[in-house]
Amino acid sequence: MDKVLDFLKSHQSPTPSRWREDAEWRRANWGWLRYSQFIAIRMLSRMDELHITQASLAEKMDCSQQYISKILKGQENLSLESIWRIESALGIDLVKSALTYVSGYTGTESQRPQYLNNSGGEDLDPNIKTSDLVEGYKASRKKRKRT
Amino acid sequence: MTFDPIIPESLWSVRYDNCKENAFFQVFSQWTDPMWLRDFFFHHKHDLNEYFKVTNVDSAIYETIADAHALQCLILDLAVEGDLNRVFRPLEPSRMSDMLLGKEKAKGEAFKHPSWLRIYALKVGESTYIVTGGAIKLTATMQEREHTLEELKKMEMVRNYLISEGVVDAEGFIDFLQAD
Repeated sequence: MDKVLDFLKSHQSPTPSRWREDAEWRRANWGWLRYSQFIAIRMLSRMDELHITQASLAEKMDCSQQYISKILKGQENLSLESIWRIESALGIDLVKSALTYVSGYTGTESQRPQYLNNSGGEDLDPNIKTSDLVEGYKASRKKRKRT
Repeated sequence: MTFDPIIPESLWSVRYDNCKENAFFQVFSQWTDPMWLRDFFFHHKHDLNEYFKVTNVDSAIYETIADAHALQCLILDLAVEGDLNRVFRPLEPSRMSDMLLGKEKAKGEAFKHPSWLRIYALKVGESTYIVTGGAIKLTATMQEREHTLEELKKMEMVRNYLISEGVVDAEGFIDFLQAD
């Protein structure tokens, strides 16, 4: 056993691996990275549909192709302006679909702030749970349909 | 080839010649890259549907990233607890799990379906592993597809290298195979 470890240590790479550093960064930033990755996936799908290249999307968004490439890696902390530019250039909705897909949000606009706070673990009102909101929303839709 | 410690004393990864990073780093880079994953799943769309009944490539990409994240967190946590035998299991079900230089695979945490992520490693001690690579395995056996077959070849190559360097007892290994 010591023989194996001795061998591995004596044949260690000259430069250290960045794995741990990267993995810890990804774990610490997983909350927003999920949204960034979802946006990248949606963009790639839409670009395929429209047969748009990274270069032409960059032109439409008035930014560099390098920036598009970074966004498509799904690790870019996008500003609201950038998200709006992507939505406009590709004719897609990102904010609402990301909320639905990543967080399972299905509520109404007025319930959204409460939902986001709940899913972020910071309840504004400890008596209201996400599931209650979703159930309440479903019930109100049924009611609306009946009337 | 050289070696990088992932978890000191227990989990190491091969860094192949002419590669800037090790195999362990490379698989996670691929599994968290939407562009790479999109290409992969389009290329293997048939297998995705045939074996996992998944038709939506976007969902497959998203689940892969989430699964890779879970697997990565598991490894980070193991760095504290240190029991690698919890995540690695024998590659061939018929072979003993505590064998010397066994080919091992780490399965990803399953979400909506059994995970298709695999990290391949050689077991070189009680709880010491050397990662040789990883793959998205969509078929029943590794021999069925080029990219998983390639992983088998890599494991074989590293094993032969370790034996030729005298790191492990080749005779003991042969005896073991015979006993198995």
